[in-house]
Amino acid sequence: MELVNLGIKSVFIDNMIFAYFLGMCSFLAVSKKVTTAIGLGAAVVFVLGITAPVNWLVQEYILKEGALTWLSADFAGLNLEFLQFIMFIAIIAAIVQLVEMVVEKFSPTLYGALGIFLPLIAVNCAILGGSLFMVQRDYTLAEAGVFGVGSGLGFMFAIVALAAVREKLKYSNVPDGLKGLGITMLITGLMGIAFKSFIGIAL
Amino acid sequence: MKFIQQAIDKVKPAFEKGGKLEKYYFLFESIETFLFVPKETTLRKGVQIRDGVDLKRFMITVVIALLPALVFGTYNVGYQYYQATGLEPAGSWDLWWIGIQRVVPIVIVSYVFGLFITEFAFSVIRQHPINEGFLVTGILIPMVLPPTIPLWQVAVATVFAVVIAKEAFGGTGMNVLNVALVARAFLYFAYPGFMSGDQVWVYLGGHTPVDGFSGATPLGIVASTVESGQNAVAALLEHGDHYSLGSMFYGLIPGSIGETSVLMILIGAVILMATGVGSWRIIVSGFAGAYLMALLLQVTGVNPYMQMAPVYHLVMGGLAFGIVFMATDPVTASQTNTGKWIYGAMIGVLTIIIRVLNPAYPEGIMLAILFMNVFAPLIDYYVVGANKKRRLKRATV
Repeated sequence: MELVNLGIKSVFIDNMIFAYFLGMCSFLAVSKKVTTAIGLGAAVVFVLGITAPVNWLVQEYILKEGALTWLSADFAGLNLEFLQFIMFIAIIAAIVQLVEMVVEKFSPTLYGALGIFLPLIAVNCAILGGSLFMVQRDYTLAEAGVFGVGSGLGFMFAIVALAAVREKLKYSNVPDGLKGLGITMLITGLMGIAFKSFIGIAL
Repeated sequence: MKFIQQAIDKVKPAFEKGGKLEKYYFLFESIETFLFVPKETTLRKGVQIRDGVDLKRFMITVVIALLPALVFGTYNVGYQYYQATGLEPAGSWDLWWIGIQRVVPIVIVSYVFGLFITEFAFSVIRQHPINEGFLVTGILIPMVLPPTIPLWQVAVATVFAVVIAKEAFGGTGMNVLNVALVARAFLYFAYPGFMSGDQVWVYLGGHTPVDGFSGATPLGIVASTVESGQNAVAALLEHGDHYSLGSMFYGLIPGSIGETSVLMILIGAVILMATGVGSWRIIVSGFAGAYLMALLLQVTGVNPYMQMAPVYHLVMGGLAFGIVFMATDPVTASQTNTGKWIYGAMIGVLTIIIRVLNPAYPEGIMLAILFMNVFAPLIDYYVVGANKKRRLKRATV
């Protein structure tokens, strides 16, 4: 039950986009079409879902103060947390590479559509943010996994909705100065108001 | 009327292409067409237009449907004033007078700032005709605000909503979110002290309220039972007879100007559904969604608010007003028929979820509609996609 609550919470209430404003770059850039948005969303779910537990293991057994005692009791005083960022980023980059190869093999069209943004997931702040939140909030391994998948789903939810709105915008008459990113920023702001409906629910 | 027509015809050349005041053509055109509705009629032979409904008639129908609730709301402001201050009205006219003094300025400010300043400016700068869209928005904005709202806030919110939620998208018919609700949400988050709590729903005009007066809305009262553990219906009745189920249906209770009387709103709903202006699918599925969600909570409920009878949810707060007049906005709702069922039902469900489960907001209809406005295009996308798939399967090539 705890895990279900955490999942719901990370999708709706602590939404990566609307509660923390993480991952905005790909959110704004890859939301022109619903199909590509779903592709990117799925990739983010996958990457977040894997990196959060993997990084949890790294944090717990390598980085934390005294984490290396399983190797030898001499390391009890060793604290490698200053390596946290670089380790997390390296792991994320490796897993993104893996996703890229999988996508290229199984769906060349999606691979073409995602283009440069697939490798860029490696530096998507939502992914690193997910890992850092997981450390900060002292999640267990299972919680880290659920949190990763949930946050990814929240991101996917938001980006697919934005893509559908933007497809509808083809019929609008947006002022020239606001076309493209300008109006997208406005929509994001207005969507943020709408997503406020969930902020405050205590699970 | 003849002489107005003649006067307009006389100045018309100045506004037409090449004329002196060409820049203001759309300004002129809006006034002209407002007074003299489409002159085009079909000939006796050839193609017939079955129903010449245009944007203007469409919007006027909504305004007419809104009038019962607005008139009742005006009366209610005065009624609440005399209830709360304990003063004796000399006659029923006094009640109306207080209400008119409060409500009419809000309506005027909303129209002046929305239509005569913002929309006219945009029509001149962007050279697009002024549509009648704001006729409805301009009357919806006052109706979803509490009667104590300062007029400058009405002006700020109206301008914000028209510019950001409507004109930035190209004007009437092109917006994504309901403009009146954006105005309300703007005020709600920018000036929460004027938009929520117990003190804003009854206009007191500087008088001190009578002993035992509580300006709490029914939603505020039932929300407090989560902590006190008291039975929700009993808590309502403790505040007086006007919070019984029937009285809340008639609507002589504190609240936003237009939202209190479910009866008047239902009259509006009948007008909208009979003329086909408002989608009956959204209205029916909205109420059904709210009822079923409340029923589910009642069955599984762990606190008095959850266990409250579902029918109470339908008469409290702005649920009826929102579903009838705001969810049915044809621009921001789902466009497909299947989509409308899903859209309406989700609004009802979300409203109850926000009301009962989110302690941050006593009322959920505003955010629920805005949330579903955002997702309406996505619903349409999948409904259309499913339709395509089904028809492709049927095709025999």
